[in-house]
Amino acid sequence: MESADIAVLLTVVGSIICFGGAAVLALGWAFRNGQFDNFQRGALSIFDADEPVGEPTDFFPDYRGRTPDQDQPHHWTRET
Amino acid sequence: MAVSVLARDELRWQAAQERVTIDRSCRGPVLAFCATALFWLLVGSFLALVASTKLHSPYFLTGSPTWTFGRVRMAHLQAVALGWSSLAAMAACLWLMCRLARVELVYPRMLYLACTLWNLATALAVIGILLGDGTSVEWLDAPTYSHPFFVAGVGLVTAWVVATFRRRREQHVYVTQWYILAAVFWFPWLYTVATLMIFWTPATGVIQPIVNWWFNHNFLGLWLTPIGVGIAYYIIPKILGRPIHSYYLSITGFWTLALFYSWAGMHHLIGGPIPAWLATASTVGSMMMFIPVIAVAINHHMTMIGHFHRLKYSPALRFTVFGAIAYTAVSFQGSIESLKDFSEVAHFTHYTVGHAHLGVYGFLAMILFGLYYYMIPRLTGREWYSSKLIRLHFWCSAIGITLYFTALSIGGWWQGRMLNNPNVPFANIVMYVQPYLALRTVAGILMTIGHIAFATLFVINIAGWGRHRSSGPTLFSQPPLPLSSPWPGATNIIGTPSTHL
Repeated sequence: MESADIAVLLTVVGSIICFGGAAVLALGWAFRNGQFDNFQRGALSIFDADEPVGEPTDFFPDYRGRTPDQDQPHHWTRET
Repeated sequence: MAVSVLARDELRWQAAQERVTIDRSCRGPVLAFCATALFWLLVGSFLALVASTKLHSPYFLTGSPTWTFGRVRMAHLQAVALGWSSLAAMAACLWLMCRLARVELVYPRMLYLACTLWNLATALAVIGILLGDGTSVEWLDAPTYSHPFFVAGVGLVTAWVVATFRRRREQHVYVTQWYILAAVFWFPWLYTVATLMIFWTPATGVIQPIVNWWFNHNFLGLWLTPIGVGIAYYIIPKILGRPIHSYYLSITGFWTLALFYSWAGMHHLIGGPIPAWLATASTVGSMMMFIPVIAVAINHHMTMIGHFHRLKYSPALRFTVFGAIAYTAVSFQGSIESLKDFSEVAHFTHYTVGHAHLGVYGFLAMILFGLYYYMIPRLTGREWYSSKLIRLHFWCSAIGITLYFTALSIGGWWQGRMLNNPNVPFANIVMYVQPYLALRTVAGILMTIGHIAFATLFVINIAGWGRHRSSGPTLFSQPPLPLSSPWPGATNIIGTPSTHL
């Protein structure tokens, strides 16, 4: 085998071990860490008290009205 | 009642304050990536128009080797793939990682260095190619002296993503984070191995094209696609205020993409001098890609269902949903294209060029535009200057890519049919495709007009000429301080003293 062939072999085998191994480790970590335990909680993790489920967060700059389904954009009001 | 409302307001204020602090910490580095990405988009658009015009008007810009089709087309690819797409994708990684990990941006200087290195590499690539230093290896056309800068640039971004992930305050890893982590892990590996095996310790014989197409296809599949899909998984539910339809499906989609996509590149060499099993395995991998693509398609469609009217009201959603639909279309098309019977006709024709643009522009660029429209106002605290310009951008881009894809798909398909017929003279085929190539230039002009509108909006926003938003729909919210604020002297998100409503 020439040196170039050995380099190719090392690259391919090394890649398979490193990246296949990394994928297996990542999957194992995710299971141990409980990442797949509660999918519902995962889906909600991007929302918070200020941008909760049910409140759209993006409109054209000139938008001033209400959408046909009467969803209100987020306004800050204080009830006292 | 009043107490619970106060508590609710306080919670909202805290959440808004946390988000605003995070966005503010991202401002400098993310805007640096965004601005330079946009610069390369304009450069790439100009080069694309020159290259496209030359295909139907061969006497356009002759007399200088710099402007020959071979160089201009390679320079265009580097400007848009490594300049625009990659820089904007990295900006997305930075902002989304901070938001999803709920941490402020750390090591900003490291990111400025990464941005500088990547831009230097792209400049070396584009200018080097135009001056004749291109390598003629598709997608890896950049001169070899630019490679170390690309590796160093993305290496720093990868290190930063890992550092941010380790600091995360939100323990759940959202699906977008899976995609980003995978992309910043895969891409440095892809790029290093491909350049090593093609340029630095070159493999012999057919291994070179095999490595070349493994890189080319995975540049899209393991670098740009995960980031594009990851952005959509954040932007669509966030804008709608609606969780994704099936989180289980989204995770399944991610892991099946990780499993199958890297096999797919060899279908570009069907009919070429490579082992038949390799092309066949690649075709199988391409067909298996139906699984993650259908998972993503179902999820995006079912999340949107009943809310399509919102496309009228949200600029970011409009671009993102267009991109998500294009992702489904281009992925289905890609799987079908990997079949040998189909390849017999479509291979080596303009059909493949149309397919590539549907992916990189129709899917990725549109989603990146959507991200810009959502993210930039939150970073700068300023409203977009003009809805008309946003609409102009959208319609020019949408009509442009649709026209581009349609013209090249029809023209390319018949080009392939005629190329397979030995009775058709080659010159007739060249003449036949000319009108389709002219339509491609028209489409390119439309898209470029959209990019100019986009760049104008961006410059106005960054320069501070756009108006601050103080009320109304939440491009970003401006919460009042609760009366019992535990943060005396705190300011609202745009940095002005907050007032109670």
